[in-house]
Amino acid sequence: MELQGKISLKTRRSYRRGRAYLLPIFVGLVYLILYSPIIVLIVFSFNKNPLSFKWYGFTFDWYKQLFSSVEILDALKNSLIVAFSSVFLCITMALFYVFYGVSSFLNRLMVIFYGSLVAPEIVLAVCLLSIFTFFSIPLGLTTLIVGHTLIGLAYVVPIIKSSFLEMDYGLVEASMDLGATESQTFYKIVIPILSPAIISAALLVLIVSLDDFLISFFCAGASVLTLPMYIFSEIRSGATPVVNALSTLLLVVSSFLILILTAFKLRTRVF
Amino acid sequence: MKKNKFESEGSKEHSFAVALPAVLWQILFLYLPLFFLIYISFVKTLDYAVLKNLTLQNYKTLIDFSYFKIISRSVALAFFNSLFCLILAYPIAYFLALRVKRLKNLFIFLLVLPFWTNFLVQAYAWFFILDNNGILNKFLLKVGIISSPLHILNTPLAIYIVMLFCYLPFMVLPIYSSMTKIDKYLLEASSDLGATSWQTLGHVTLPLSLSGIRNGFFLVLIPSFGEFVIPILLGGGKVMYVGSMISYFFLETKNVFLGAAFTCFSGFILILIALIVYILFRKLGK
Repeated sequence: MELQGKISLKTRRSYRRGRAYLLPIFVGLVYLILYSPIIVLIVFSFNKNPLSFKWYGFTFDWYKQLFSSVEILDALKNSLIVAFSSVFLCITMALFYVFYGVSSFLNRLMVIFYGSLVAPEIVLAVCLLSIFTFFSIPLGLTTLIVGHTLIGLAYVVPIIKSSFLEMDYGLVEASMDLGATESQTFYKIVIPILSPAIISAALLVLIVSLDDFLISFFCAGASVLTLPMYIFSEIRSGATPVVNALSTLLLVVSSFLILILTAFKLRTRVF
Repeated sequence: MKKNKFESEGSKEHSFAVALPAVLWQILFLYLPLFFLIYISFVKTLDYAVLKNLTLQNYKTLIDFSYFKIISRSVALAFFNSLFCLILAYPIAYFLALRVKRLKNLFIFLLVLPFWTNFLVQAYAWFFILDNNGILNKFLLKVGIISSPLHILNTPLAIYIVMLFCYLPFMVLPIYSSMTKIDKYLLEASSDLGATSWQTLGHVTLPLSLSGIRNGFFLVLIPSFGEFVIPILLGGGKVMYVGSMISYFFLETKNVFLGAAFTCFSGFILILIALIVYILFRKLGK
């Protein structure tokens, strides 16, 4: 009887062990499917033959074409201008809001920053477009910066706010008691202490802005092209491997930024 | 003393003015435009007689079977995409939160990565898999499961597949974070008291991760209702969804008034569905 019990326990255990591999296999499979398109995309950015799905040999030609195309370099310039302007605007406004708004009713208006996260992006885009056309504001880089700053603030304000709340407020009071003005305290005490949060928030806005397509598609008008918009128009008109090369570079840049961000987050525990 | 007070009053006004832009930005470029959009959905022309020209004409035009079909197509896409994502995401989140020990950070990083990368690039990458000469067809032909290539690209199936994998991280991450908050001793207690791992899953883990499931459901449901890029690129642009219809109104026909009405009406439907899902989750939680 006892023996039988032992055996059944043993078989049950081995049965369980067999089943225990099912979950890792499932997860591995999903990861494989998740990443196979991206891997194939990267591989084909080095393919010699531009039209076929067959592998013809290794080449760097598409990357060379990428960097000699005036249109792409122009789009890159636009993307960078918009991204860095949005980062600057978001960080400045969020810092001012968090520090100077702490004693007024503005402090309780945090909710309004979540609106742009909740609504579908296309609704934001259409809203912006209709208000720009109504006030006959010419669509271009400015309107793009406005849109990207709008979505950027939704990420930046909560991050900076939460790390400001975690900060020892005694430091601000001590600085003021020792005769520093409000702005001296802001520049010499608050900003250095919050710098980890500021850097990760800035990285986040950079990623969001560089990757954004929908807001740009609606608010850029006919004259301005950003990198994602260029990729979209190329895909629709039949893409060449140059688009693969560009997508690969965009992926590499965002992955790099995210890698920095996560390394940073683990070290400083901003979130 | 008096002067001092005066000074501090002055600096208070100053600090209020400096803190204002962030709030103003949101009001000026999000909430005001939203009201404006609702307003123009009730007029036919823009002039200065603001409240006199209100009309329901735009909404009456929308009472048409073709628009009804487009909206219900998007509703189905949003709902089923969330459901499929949940089915696929739950085991993954379970594995990451409660099973895996080594390389956990790598697994999480590999999920966060597509979360932040461009949807456009991801959608484009799927072309190489789903094309008639793509990897999937080549593989299936070689294995011998099919004898002629499957036409997946430019069909709703392609849209559903790509949506599923693009939105998957949005579902996994909230479920994962709700699972990491579960007290490990509860799980141990459950198995010590004789529950099988399936029973523990059903009676302990699942109820305690319900908030994560709900958050993930909304994170997938809302953006996939208005999804624009994936249906246009992988559906071949033949079938209209809410996102493509909105862009058609605003960018191609430039019929802003009808477009606004369509956007507002779809938004209303979305809020309604979100509300229903919210109530369902509250019932489940009880």
